[in-house]
Amino acid sequence: MPVIMSEAPKKRVYTDTQKHDVFNREFMPHIDSMYNFAYRLTTDEDDANDLVQDTYLKAFRFITSFEQGTNAKAWLFRILKNSFINDYRKKSKQPAKVDYQEVETTYNSEDADASHTVDLRTDSVQDMIGDEVANALNSLPVDFRTVIILCDIEGFTYEEMAKILDIPIGTVRSRLHRARNLLKEKLRDYADSMGYDA
Amino acid sequence: MNVSSKITKAELAQPMKHECENHAECMKMIQMILDGEANAEDKEHFRQNMDKCMPCIKTYHLEKCIKESLQNKVERRPCPEKLVAAIKAQLNY
Repeated sequence: MPVIMSEAPKKRVYTDTQKHDVFNREFMPHIDSMYNFAYRLTTDEDDANDLVQDTYLKAFRFITSFEQGTNAKAWLFRILKNSFINDYRKKSKQPAKVDYQEVETTYNSEDADASHTVDLRTDSVQDMIGDEVANALNSLPVDFRTVIILCDIEGFTYEEMAKILDIPIGTVRSRLHRARNLLKEKLRDYADSMGYDA
Repeated sequence: MNVSSKITKAELAQPMKHECENHAECMKMIQMILDGEANAEDKEHFRQNMDKCMPCIKTYHLEKCIKESLQNKVERRPCPEKLVAAIKAQLNY
């Protein structure tokens, strides 16, 4: 398993040509995924543009910290996520940050999940169009939205997500589980409002 | 008739479960299976038990459907050409 970003990155000396070469070969192929991630995080095209641009300029500036042949996509996603937290979340109108400690303590308690069955039918979800699913996703607090985007839309492994988000794998699992329960509640509310279950 | 064949018979006669006494644990396992993160032992347990418990069957199909909807139905926004050009311009291409 490749290391995304070692604790003490080995600095390399590159010529300008080599920097551009690495940038083009390793970073640019991920720009569509990066833009999509930025758009799903910010839910705004202008903010997504700024976030992707900032991230790519940072990636170029710190290119000597990137180890060629390792997981460039996860490395870039980690920078984008950090930029989002530092620069965009402050000014965004997102719901207040979720209290992870509380959420994860609840998750880990014995009866947390047993009492948490959402009454939603598979048929109802099958009938929904993409925008309806996207709206439900967008309505989640951003920290929960993030794990679903990384796992289900971008297909990262738990280990990659742990490195992108700087959290242990166990926390990835529990946050994902909680996020999916919240998403089911949103989808259920939507299905109910459309009379899908009537 | 030996013991193992008795067990097999009993298992075959076992009716579909409509209550799951381990549902919290099952939900965690189903999530790992769908995310491709389950180990061989969990996969085998799932394979042998997945058709015996109605709440788990329903959960599996619902979670699978939601995951596939996110993968396939939610629109992916490609990066605008203008943005690619702007990044390259800033880096003096």
